Amino acid sequence: MTLSDIAFWLFSAGAVWTAWRVFRTDSMVRASFALMLSFFCVAAILLLLSAPYLGIATIFMMAVEMMVMALFMVMFMMNPAGLNPMMMVHQHKVSIGAGVAAFAGLGAAALLTDLPHHAVAAGKPVIRDLGTELLGGSMLIFETAGITLLATMVATVVLSSRSGRFGAADEGSRPPGLEPGGKPAGRAPERDSDHSHHAEHGG
Amino acid sequence: MTALIAVLLLLAAGIWFGATADAVAEAAVAGHPVRAALTSPFRRAALMLSRQAIATEHPDRLNRLLAPACYLVLAAAGLSVIPFAPGMAVTDIATGLVLWGACEALVVVVVFLNGWSANAPLPLIGGYRYVAIGLPAMLISMFVLIGAALPAQSLGVGAVVESQRVLINAVRQPLGLPLFLLLGLSITLRGPFDYGDSADLAGGTHAEASGAHRLLWRAAKLAMLTAFSAMAATVFLGGYLGTVLPGPAWLVLKTALVMLVLVAITHLVARVPPARMLTWLWTVLLPLSFVDLVWAGLEAMR
Amino acid sequence: MAMKALARIAMRAPIPVFVATGRGWLGPCRKLAASADIAVVANIRQAAILIVAGEPRDEDRDALRRLHDQMPHPRATAWWGTRPFAEADSALEVSATDDPGPLLRRAFAALLARVRESEPDWLPDDPPNPWRGEGDHGQGGKGMMGGTPYGRPMAMTADDLRDGLALDSFSFTVGPFYPSLPPGLALELVLQGDIIQSARIVRPPLDPGKGAADACRSMIVGRMLHLLELDALARRCEAVPVDDRDAVAALRRRIGASGAMRAIPDGLGRIAGADARTRFTRMVAALGDAEASSFAGPGGRLVDLLPGLEWSEAMLVINSFSHRDLVALAPREVEPEEHREGHGT
Repeated sequence: MTLSDIAFWLFSAGAVWTAWRVFRTDSMVRASFALMLSFFCVAAILLLLSAPYLGIATIFMMAVEMMVMALFMVMFMMNPAGLNPMMMVHQHKVSIGAGVAAFAGLGAAALLTDLPHHAVAAGKPVIRDLGTELLGGSMLIFETAGITLLATMVATVVLSSRSGRFGAADEGSRPPGLEPGGKPAGRAPERDSDHSHHAEHGG
Repeated sequence: MTALIAVLLLLAAGIWFGATADAVAEAAVAGHPVRAALTSPFRRAALMLSRQAIATEHPDRLNRLLAPACYLVLAAAGLSVIPFAPGMAVTDIATGLVLWGACEALVVVVVFLNGWSANAPLPLIGGYRYVAIGLPAMLISMFVLIGAALPAQSLGVGAVVESQRVLINAVRQPLGLPLFLLLGLSITLRGPFDYGDSADLAGGTHAEASGAHRLLWRAAKLAMLTAFSAMAATVFLGGYLGTVLPGPAWLVLKTALVMLVLVAITHLVARVPPARMLTWLWTVLLPLSFVDLVWAGLEAMR
Repeated sequence: MAMKALARIAMRAPIPVFVATGRGWLGPCRKLAASADIAVVANIRQAAILIVAGEPRDEDRDALRRLHDQMPHPRATAWWGTRPFAEADSALEVSATDDPGPLLRRAFAALLARVRESEPDWLPDDPPNPWRGEGDHGQGGKGMMGGTPYGRPMAMTADDLRDGLALDSFSFTVGPFYPSLPPGLALELVLQGDIIQSARIVRPPLDPGKGAADACRSMIVGRMLHLLELDALARRCEAVPVDDRDAVAALRRRIGASGAMRAIPDGLGRIAGADARTRFTRMVAALGDAEASSFAGPGGRLVDLLPGLEWSEAMLVINSFSHRDLVALAPREVEPEEHREGHGT
């Protein structure tokens, strides 16, 4: 049992415990920061695996992402510190099923894969190697994946926003005015091919 | 070990120096006697220590304690990547700039938690207003730091210092330091970038803090000012590089210089409303940081 | 021993006071703010002594009691030119014509040395309305939300003014002792995020009375500078001797150099052809000029200017008016029902 073994077990236990706390707390802000701590423990394990850039970048990215998530939740639910108790878990049966399936799948993948066992040689330029991999041989894969993910996000928003906040998108939903009783905000829907909104401006 | 002691000493000295510089600048601008201001930080600290630290109704106790403590720890962690002399840093790693970036990102989390944990309207508004401004300010600093890493061909802070032996980055990349100073104002909640602890919210995230709790938060802000100034001095002003004086002395002098500049801006420049600042950040300052990055790239390829 | 040494050092700090200004007391309060020995703080949590300057309005008495109870121990209250409340034991009384400085200094030292006893709460530590145990989760509301736990109404979803997004709107009252508002003004605001959805006048601002125009103007410009995060300059402004032309001119130059005017967005809070920036510029120009008139334009209502503004913009708009104009713009509204006020910090 070396020092890094002990550290590995400690961080693993930390990751699991904080992940469990995500579902036990009754405040959404606390839940997102518990999730952040869980990711930090994983980042520490990455550091133990001699992946300094990935480890610290994980801390960095997760801090920003969880912050944005918490901010959005406060924006939509201005509940200063979880004054009201809330039920944080929904759809118990489905979520239990999904959780068990995901655990089994990932566990099997981790146990059945033949992972490398040798330690990283001291003085190996791991960050340079990572950069060469990301922007060299695997560049096409990563860039394709990046663009695909972005396109997916945009497409999801487009598809899910047909029934928008102000009526169906294809029936010309118009948001209310920027001032009470003002002219509707946003673009007027175009009825025909020529520039009808110009005509509206003129009129 | 020497580096660790140096970091702690620099933090303590920085808190004192920052508080004194603030008090003197405030007295000078307000037209109060400057002499009395030299010792006033001690009196104010003693006063805060001898008063009650009030707990609000139903606060998030854990985060209320953790927020100022973590802020202080982040300042120390940020300072730990800075070399006092060649190879003399607490965490002498090849990803020093990324670690500093993680500290910047976590400051946003910590300030938000400080506002959120009090369970009161004004601190909460301060907390999420700060997130809206702090995140884009942090993005700008990321591009600026990548620009500074280009000539060094390394993300290590030591390598960035060594790359400035011929020419310091403040001259080589003229946009870098001014843009980075904006981040400094933002992560220390100061003057024109004080959107978290601002006066219109009666103190924002620390509006409900009193006594020792208030003292801790203020000390943490000053500690972060020190850490940021040391970082700016290292990445843009050549850190320990210099003639005649030993390396650490140069670092301390340059750090003090950056601190004084930030303190002066704090008391002399007005703050714009947050919506306006947000527009400027995304439409003016962020594109400027891209310009800085392109400039740094072209300069490095020369 | 260590505590005694600490108290001895703390005693030499400027006395942190919070001033609850009464009608016609702007002038004396301004003199108090000018003293280097006294630090007028903007937040009751920082104060050691609450100064009640002048007779408080009857309707402000409860808010004053709440304000007092938010002050950290050890604490005291000084009654300057007014009679103490019945519940205020061992009150510090200062006559209207006296300078409270020496008395405050003695009381402050006695408080820190634990010679003088800290004042207890004036109000019982009860929630303003019963809520515990009500509702499905005992949170004081219906379903999962709602209610007024701890006397603070819970945020409930409502359509946003600007984009129709159903966000949680949150209503609370600021004033009548909020440092960024003119003395006496209390507003009930409905917020979504930091955008004001609607505003209602709970208490009108105090009428400054005649002959206080100078004091008023420098206090208002000071508040504007505070809002623009220029605390030191604000303190200089609050203390500036208005009849010293050179001092006033130097102050004006510094305000201009700080970019304070340009920091206020163009067209903010436009009424009668002037926006907040114009009004502020005029007010700075009129510093030390007792004859300068206020805008006194066609009537409008303050509450119509505020909706849609972000919090700090709203504060800038409110403080861009002179006290006299504000009294006209924010008249007393007919009160529909009994409501809360408070949050004096």
